[in-house]
Amino acid sequence: MRSKYALRFLALGYLALLLGIPVALVFINAFQDGIGAAWDAVTTPEAQHAFWLTFIMVIVAVPLNTIFGVLCALAVVRQRFRGRALLNAMVDLPFAVSPVVVGLALLLVYGRRDGWIGPWLDDHGVQVIFSTPGMILATMFVSLPFVVREVIPVLREIGTEQEQAAATLGANKLQTFFRVTLPAIRWGVAYGVVLTTARALGEFGAVSVVSGKLSGQTETATLFVENRFQRFDETGAYAASVVLALLAFVTLLAMNLIKPKESQG
Amino acid sequence: MSIVVENVSKRFGDFVALNGVSLSVRDGSLTALLGPSGGGKSTLLRVIAGLEQPDSGRVLIGGEDATPKPPQRRDVGFVFQHYAAFKHMTVAKNVAFGLTIRKRPKDEIDARVKELLELVHLDGFAHRYPSQLSGGQRQRMALARALAVQPRVLLLDEPFGALDATVRKELRAWLRRLHDEVHVTTVFVTHDQEEAMEVAEQIVVLNHGDIEQVGTPRDLYEKPANEFVMRFVGPVSELSGRWIRPHDVEILTEPTEGASEAQIDRIVHLGFEVRVELSLGDGDSTWAQTTRTRVEELELSEGQIVWLRLESAPVSV
Repeated sequence: MRSKYALRFLALGYLALLLGIPVALVFINAFQDGIGAAWDAVTTPEAQHAFWLTFIMVIVAVPLNTIFGVLCALAVVRQRFRGRALLNAMVDLPFAVSPVVVGLALLLVYGRRDGWIGPWLDDHGVQVIFSTPGMILATMFVSLPFVVREVIPVLREIGTEQEQAAATLGANKLQTFFRVTLPAIRWGVAYGVVLTTARALGEFGAVSVVSGKLSGQTETATLFVENRFQRFDETGAYAASVVLALLAFVTLLAMNLIKPKESQG
Repeated sequence: MSIVVENVSKRFGDFVALNGVSLSVRDGSLTALLGPSGGGKSTLLRVIAGLEQPDSGRVLIGGEDATPKPPQRRDVGFVFQHYAAFKHMTVAKNVAFGLTIRKRPKDEIDARVKELLELVHLDGFAHRYPSQLSGGQRQRMALARALAVQPRVLLLDEPFGALDATVRKELRAWLRRLHDEVHVTTVFVTHDQEEAMEVAEQIVVLNHGDIEQVGTPRDLYEKPANEFVMRFVGPVSELSGRWIRPHDVEILTEPTEGASEAQIDRIVHLGFEVRVELSLGDGDSTWAQTTRTRVEELELSEGQIVWLRLESAPVSV
């Protein structure tokens, strides 16, 4: 009995120290000058633009990574080809590589003066670095693995028999995918989408390198938080942090609300 | 529709699953593919369905070459050992799947689903999910789903293999009756000789990728083509270097011409049937299948010396 409580105490204590207390302090600090001050801090034109830009990151990166993630998982699980293992390993790269390195790598490719294809793109009027496209690319890179990693085990678990049954019943590949495979993996996809969204909302390092941090232009919500903090605007920094934390919280909550009861297969 | 398999071979790496198999299945018949696991029977069924492509050879369904066609264009119904139920769909949606894909009018689909659920005794389960059904019910649902599109042939891969013994027996008898009602050309795979004998009109014995024998259940039992078939379709025992059915061994209590002397090691009572285990003079052992009545008549006991003779016209190889 005692060990049972010890285990709970340990788990909860660990969580409280690492997560609970720091996040609580962010909330307390955000509202130290009152709710009005916090509200004003996150509704300035710069703040609104920063949240808008973060929204753009999410709205582009999440659907693209979801489509890629499902296709990639299908290729890894359902097909046999050379380089399959390599593809599977490559997908994890964003987990292993520091976001700062990702940002620098993007500079090397898309940099306007010295980049690999950056100068050519610049000649054709496309600016990637210090602009929204580069920030989207950075966000996509760091949030790439989540859908793949959530979907692969589900695909393995459901096996191929349902798909074969659909084929013998007259369904073509596309019909089989949309009517049988996708519904069967939907909770894996949904969980992957939630994690991708949370990661895209919170991305800082890679975006920071490629953005140029132009306030009101290439500043996402996380960059806005850093900017305010550097300028000793603690209320602004903490209030924006609270908004980010709430967005992440809502994302996770939505996931739990749509998730089916465990008992129903 | 008739099914003709011509010289079909299939390898998986070094493993030869089918070694130039040819087979003809008559329109409207009920055929069992029987054999040990790894014998090639499931592969043959999957080749007929188009779920596996043969390395060489052809499959003709209704006289027309089906080999280049994908499974969705072969008009076959396929039932899997582990049901392959669409877990996210209700029973009715599962059964309607093939019709929905074919974009049939809703009224027609509803009527057909109702009719099929009655046929498989699942009326009243239309709005349940597969997870709320028992194994036997799931398999009946899978069968209704396969039959919904009125397939030209019905293929079943170890359909009762995952069910417990009682349900399996029930479903066997039921499949037999269903075939009498629906008359669709049916091929099923089983490793259980009793199941094959009880259900099928024609049995195909497959071993190591080759067909050992094709025949009626009675043919296989009474005229086995070789030792493998003899051993696979019924009990065997060995006497004077021949494989025989143990019920063809006659036990005598007096020495008789042509009979071999043996000592009874053990008498096992299995109800009406009695199994007598014996040692022969040369040290070999054998066994005879007899009845309770016979054992009592002869007053057999363990340790006793008896003489063994073959019944007239025994089945042997």
